Amino acid sequence: MENQAVVELINVKKQIGNINIIDDISLKVFQGEVFGFLGPNGAGKTTTIRMMVGLIGITEGEVLINGVSIKKNYEKAILNVGGIIENPEMYKFMSGYDNLIHYARMVPKKVTKERINKVVQLVGLEKSINHKVGRYSLGMRQRLGLAQALLHSPSLLILDEPTNGLDPAGIREIRTYIRKIAHEENMAVFVSSHLLSEMQLMCDRIGIIQNGKLVRVETMGDIVDMSKEATIRIHVEPLDEAFHFLYALYEKTDIEIEDNFIKISLKQEQIPQCNKALVENDFMVYGITSTQTTLEDKFLEITEEK
Amino acid sequence: MVSFIDLIRNENMKLYKRTGTWVMIGLIILAMSGVGLFTKFVLDSDAHINWKEELKTENMQLESALKDTEQMGVGNDYVEQQLAINHYRLENDYPPVHSESLWGFMIDVTNLTGFVALFTIVVAAGIVANEFSWGTIKLLLIRPVSRSKILLSKFITTILFAIGMIILLFSLSFIFGSLLFGVSGVEQPHLVYQDGQVVEQNMITYIISLYGFNSIDLFMMLTLAFMISTVFRSSSLAIGISLFLMFTGPQLVQLLSNYEWVKYILFANTNLQQYTNGTPIVEGMTMTFSISMIMIYFIIFVALSWVIFEKRDVTA
Repeated sequence: MENQAVVELINVKKQIGNINIIDDISLKVFQGEVFGFLGPNGAGKTTTIRMMVGLIGITEGEVLINGVSIKKNYEKAILNVGGIIENPEMYKFMSGYDNLIHYARMVPKKVTKERINKVVQLVGLEKSINHKVGRYSLGMRQRLGLAQALLHSPSLLILDEPTNGLDPAGIREIRTYIRKIAHEENMAVFVSSHLLSEMQLMCDRIGIIQNGKLVRVETMGDIVDMSKEATIRIHVEPLDEAFHFLYALYEKTDIEIEDNFIKISLKQEQIPQCNKALVENDFMVYGITSTQTTLEDKFLEITEEK
Repeated sequence: MVSFIDLIRNENMKLYKRTGTWVMIGLIILAMSGVGLFTKFVLDSDAHINWKEELKTENMQLESALKDTEQMGVGNDYVEQQLAINHYRLENDYPPVHSESLWGFMIDVTNLTGFVALFTIVVAAGIVANEFSWGTIKLLLIRPVSRSKILLSKFITTILFAIGMIILLFSLSFIFGSLLFGVSGVEQPHLVYQDGQVVEQNMITYIISLYGFNSIDLFMMLTLAFMISTVFRSSSLAIGISLFLMFTGPQLVQLLSNYEWVKYILFANTNLQQYTNGTPIVEGMTMTFSISMIMIYFIIFVALSWVIFEKRDVTA
């Protein structure tokens, strides 16, 4: 079951006029996996998502959901998809519950009252579900959006910028739900975002999109590992001698003195060696701090070099 | 399969959960009561006591008018018919229907169909366009339901709204009319001139037929507003264009009635009463012609909405 692709994009292209908005994207998302779809604003995240749910046409290529083509057999394919596309816009003049009833009526297999209540509980909206959506905060609307996407127990959950505009507490909440849903209900989750720190905590794999092209797909571990060279700052006395010592030791040019610290780029496994060498040569080491390259830096690096 | 009834229930829920819809319904009831109260308390109530005398004078006028037109060599069906009906009234002691009676009031109220048309245009103009402006269209369309079904459910909901308003108008005007004017004279028939003689007709049937005739215009304006709403995704544009055409269309047609091609304009055809009761705008037009024209326009409007809604890339 593990390698069953819930959603598969095959050479998907979107052309508007003569411009390729999306250029040949292929990817797979598997059961129980949270897939992050990362890219700067305007890279084509939302366009790709809209093609995946049939809101806009696919110029070329295929989107398969559980093996069913969204192009040729829309109703059957979309049955297994729940989603929030951009902001979770709901009918503001109706209560949260009425909104859910509305969507519950739009699936072939009856969504029971119990299921609705269960989903409401899952997203923690029990108290305000009978209030008008117009009075909801953005976080509550986001959660109602999640509830509406989960009603019919889909096998693929598509979330477009689910944490957009939320405060840190709200972001953490949504993140917790998403991980819980993916792993407990064995759903595939496809999340788009331009916030890397977000993705880092939420996703198992990440695909980076830029200018309509999928630049790379990596597992979370690989992406963090890519930053093999970490920059560290060493608080050491006497400073100048230590500087020359390390300069000689590593024959490196990217070593410098900054605010009474030595700043040097080293591979992970070189850090303890470096420490040992300093101590053995009677330098006083007060501290080593790693200013590790974050995903954020990596992301900027990847997107800027193209 | 998602049941179609459920889709219509959804659309109705969205329509009637909004205050605006109830304001419109309230205004229609208010207008109806207004007509009733005005007729009862403001209009002169003694005007119709000597109806026989009045009819006789009217007949004299009609006869002289008839002579004039005969001299000019043109027939005047309408005057002849009116004359025959008036004679029939005098012979059988059927006073003409006046506003201050149940039937008279109910007949007057049928003119409020224009009001219903106005509000139906508002509903039709919003039912698709609002989903786009609210942004809810995205969540509405990512369901295992085809776009055509969603569109159809919206169209039918609009029609149901119009029918509901007309039934409301009809039944409330009956209740309100009986309360204000009493039920005396209900046995009175409606008189029509058919195949050279005057025929008695059931009054209720006549009133329903009046609503029927008025509804054609309403129905076409509804379809037009719905089409604009779907194509341009803007409810204000749909309301604007439809109302503008509803008010100026008939005048425009009247103004241009010397030209033969006017008969191909929708508004020259929506008033089918021009065949049962009066003369057609352009000579040579027939009921069949008008019905065909109405159907052609209807098919064009519906096809446009459908094709565009089906193919549209939703980027709202």
